[in-house]
Amino acid sequence: MDNFISFFEHVNENTLPMLWEGTLATIYITFLSSLLAYVAGLPLGVLLVVTSKVGVHPIVWLNKLLGFIVNILRSVPFLILLIAVLPLTRAIIGTTIGTKATVVPLFIASFPFVARLVEASLIEVNEGVIEAAWSMGSTPFQIIYKVLIPEALPSLINGAAIAVTTILSYSAMSGIVGGGGLGDIAIRYGYHRYETDIMFLTVIELVVIVQIIQAIGERWAKGSDKRLKLVAGRGLFGLGRAPWAGE
Amino acid sequence: MNILRTEHLKKTFPEATSGQDSCVLDDINISIEQGETYGIIGRSGAGKSTLVRCINFLERPTGGEVYFEGKAMSALPKAGLYKTRQSMGMIFQQFNLLEQRTALKNVRYPMEIAGWSKKDADARAEELLELVNMGDKKKSYPSQLSGGQRQRVAIARAIALNPKVLLCDEATSALDPETTKGVLDLLNEINRKYGITIVIITHEMSVIEYICDRVAILDDSRVVEEGPVLSILKNPQSETGKSFVKPEFRRIRG
Repeated sequence: MDNFISFFEHVNENTLPMLWEGTLATIYITFLSSLLAYVAGLPLGVLLVVTSKVGVHPIVWLNKLLGFIVNILRSVPFLILLIAVLPLTRAIIGTTIGTKATVVPLFIASFPFVARLVEASLIEVNEGVIEAAWSMGSTPFQIIYKVLIPEALPSLINGAAIAVTTILSYSAMSGIVGGGGLGDIAIRYGYHRYETDIMFLTVIELVVIVQIIQAIGERWAKGSDKRLKLVAGRGLFGLGRAPWAGE
Repeated sequence: MNILRTEHLKKTFPEATSGQDSCVLDDINISIEQGETYGIIGRSGAGKSTLVRCINFLERPTGGEVYFEGKAMSALPKAGLYKTRQSMGMIFQQFNLLEQRTALKNVRYPMEIAGWSKKDADARAEELLELVNMGDKKKSYPSQLSGGQRQRVAIARAIALNPKVLLCDEATSALDPETTKGVLDLLNEINRKYGITIVIITHEMSVIEYICDRVAILDDSRVVEEGPVLSILKNPQSETGKSFVKPEFRRIRG
């Protein structure tokens, strides 16, 4: 028991406020980067699906080009991309340190990933349903926003949970270049100052946050999927019907 | 007055594995009269589904032409094709309803495409669901409905814009005999009451027998026999025709 307590020798009255600030920073970085990644990645994913040879509006050369760019960005290891992008970060934000600066490399690393996740979700939509939409005289654009996206929504939500947790883990890595947040704390105290107990606490926290995001995402995805009989009777996003709503 | 006509219709698919093109439809010439119930029957792989898909250009023919109301389908620009499809309804073997929408919203879809106001679309959708006896299920999702119920909703959706033609691609092949009869009764009623021309694709002669006026028998990419249902049933000329008219299964176990 003594060993256990002495393990936490570096924890003092400054630790909790610092961890709290780090947590807020991590959450801010993660959600901002995720939002931007989806702003770019969602349309990109739609394009990948729509312009493919078997897509709703084939433009094969564009499809190949976009796929090529996405593949290249995805194959660069994140840490290398982080460092390679430093000049760009400096140009846009004015500095390479801190929470705002982390968003640049995080965005560049994750929007291709989001695009692939979106692509995977949209491809799963039942081909027969798309055929039915064509037979009713839909235009390609109508098929995209009235059929593809709504029918893929539960899968898209699941993908978002995966994306956000991945971006979270990337944000922790950016701590190496002074990116702020829990990863930064872990590296500064845990690695540079050998205060392993602090690092341990940040890791626990990151694990907990990931679990929460994953659980929320899963619940939301399942709750909004009308293909599940149990869900179909439960109103918007599976959160249940308002008590005053009729049958 | 024929509402649909195919002239030397041909469709080949490039075969990925063998390198040779496979010809699924070869020199198909059929003409369908307005207001009739026309059947197309054949074994699996004979080309029937491809044929019906060429009619509304879900598949583009490789050769020949399809005429709808006298106008060539291949001459239509994209926008014209989408508009024309709004005059043709289609129902499918697997129903193909939008799973994240209620029955009402599913039936509302064609009206949304055609630019109707939400109010008008909803009113018409409710009316259509009543017609197919699904009025009480308007807020249900497809996952809560049985096969027969889903097909009824699909039918309501397909006739929403008052099409001239209703294409039925093996619409009853996934349903049990009693439910099949219910769906066919509904199709028959729609044909009688609204004069909508019905084209039925099937591999079951009993379906053709039940409500079709004329039938085309397809075998191995060609029409091998065609004519009024009653005379073909009484006296089939082709081998394929004969095989369809005689009973399906004779017991092989002792």
